[in-house]
Amino acid sequence: KGFSFDNCRRNAFMAKQGVKLPSARKTGTTIVGVIFDEGVILGADTRATGGSIVADLNCEKIHYIADNIYCCGAGTAADTEFTTNMVASKMELLKLRTGREGRVISSLRMLKQYLFRYQGHVSAALVLGGVDVNGPALHSVFPHGSSDKVPYVTMGSGSLAAMSVFEDQYKVGLNEEEAKKIVRDAIRAGIINDLGSGSNVDITVIKKGSVKQYRPYEVICQKSERQGDYSFPVGTTVVTSSVEMVPFSALRVTDEEVMEIS
Amino acid sequence: AVVSTQSGHYGRDTNYILSKEMDKQFTIPPLRPMQVSRVTTETGPFGVVDTLRSGFVNTRSEMTARHPLEQSELLYELNEQKIKLGMAKKIGGVALPLTIQTERASAAKIGRLPGIKSSYLHLEVFNGTDEDLTIEDVFEAPQPWEDLPQHPRCNNTA
Repeated sequence: KGFSFDNCRRNAFMAKQGVKLPSARKTGTTIVGVIFDEGVILGADTRATGGSIVADLNCEKIHYIADNIYCCGAGTAADTEFTTNMVASKMELLKLRTGREGRVISSLRMLKQYLFRYQGHVSAALVLGGVDVNGPALHSVFPHGSSDKVPYVTMGSGSLAAMSVFEDQYKVGLNEEEAKKIVRDAIRAGIINDLGSGSNVDITVIKKGSVKQYRPYEVICQKSERQGDYSFPVGTTVVTSSVEMVPFSALRVTDEEVMEIS
Repeated sequence: AVVSTQSGHYGRDTNYILSKEMDKQFTIPPLRPMQVSRVTTETGPFGVVDTLRSGFVNTRSEMTARHPLEQSELLYELNEQKIKLGMAKKIGGVALPLTIQTERASAAKIGRLPGIKSSYLHLEVFNGTDEDLTIEDVFEAPQPWEDLPQHPRCNNTA
């Protein structure tokens, strides 16, 4: 039950023989979060990479945990997906048990305990944000199980580009429009300067009692129009010789053998 | 007539001091446990390996570690219980973990007649697992059709 380690020995043997094992699909990401005066804004790009190939042009990196809590995920796509789904289910069970709206620190503790149990092998770096009875809260969670409570945070391969924007433009007491602008600027910096991030900017605005998801908020990588027409007109290729076509009905059955299937 | 009072089993003279072994039983285990027993194969009745279901047995490959987490995962629930009992001893004295262990042991014995699968409801409620889910309910969770139907006359240890 739980994780199965049956194939580990086989994989190690195959790697020793020189077989190239498939690489996990990562999200090679820029994810950010910022607290503003009424709540939290989470932002993410939408590119998923498998090695150096773009595996998904428009993947969803902002995951639902509860009605008032959302989580951005960087790292291995499957790990972030399953981890956030599991924690969302646990939060729902907890909400049914207590009869109260969930708190960000509950989901934080569930994530930390799960990730620490697997000692960093579950490669999920998360930005957890939400608004609960204690007000807006923003946490970053690292794959080994450590976390930070922060007013603004960036994670993923494009985190340095995004953090440079935050460090320049963040101030305490941002209003919603200012906060959306700096999140969009930060993700755009990650998309342009980092190869692992791309496509669109997704934003989720969480305030007390309301959540607004912009998917996409802005399209950065627009696919350009083809400049010319590369189709050839009929008759471009000169016909040098032709072969007479035999219709299928002209064929005769000479020998027949029925095969037994059972 | 003189009514003689005899001291009962729980009178002042009874020795309440529990042995040191019981005290030591509830220490919190270290975070990085020592390398314990090797991974054992699944054996059926009479201790024989079921080759049809679990494949051929290779002792050398059984000895080598497959994944660093495998050891940790096998002992995880046991370790978690040990940690909780150790904490309970620090909070409520040695009687608290003893009470918990007693109730858990007696709840594990509440079952249906042999041959029928027991629900262990008391145990699940006591452990808090009836209203929670873990990764075992997500990955490789036993599906309803995987429970083999039990004949009423066969002796079932489950």
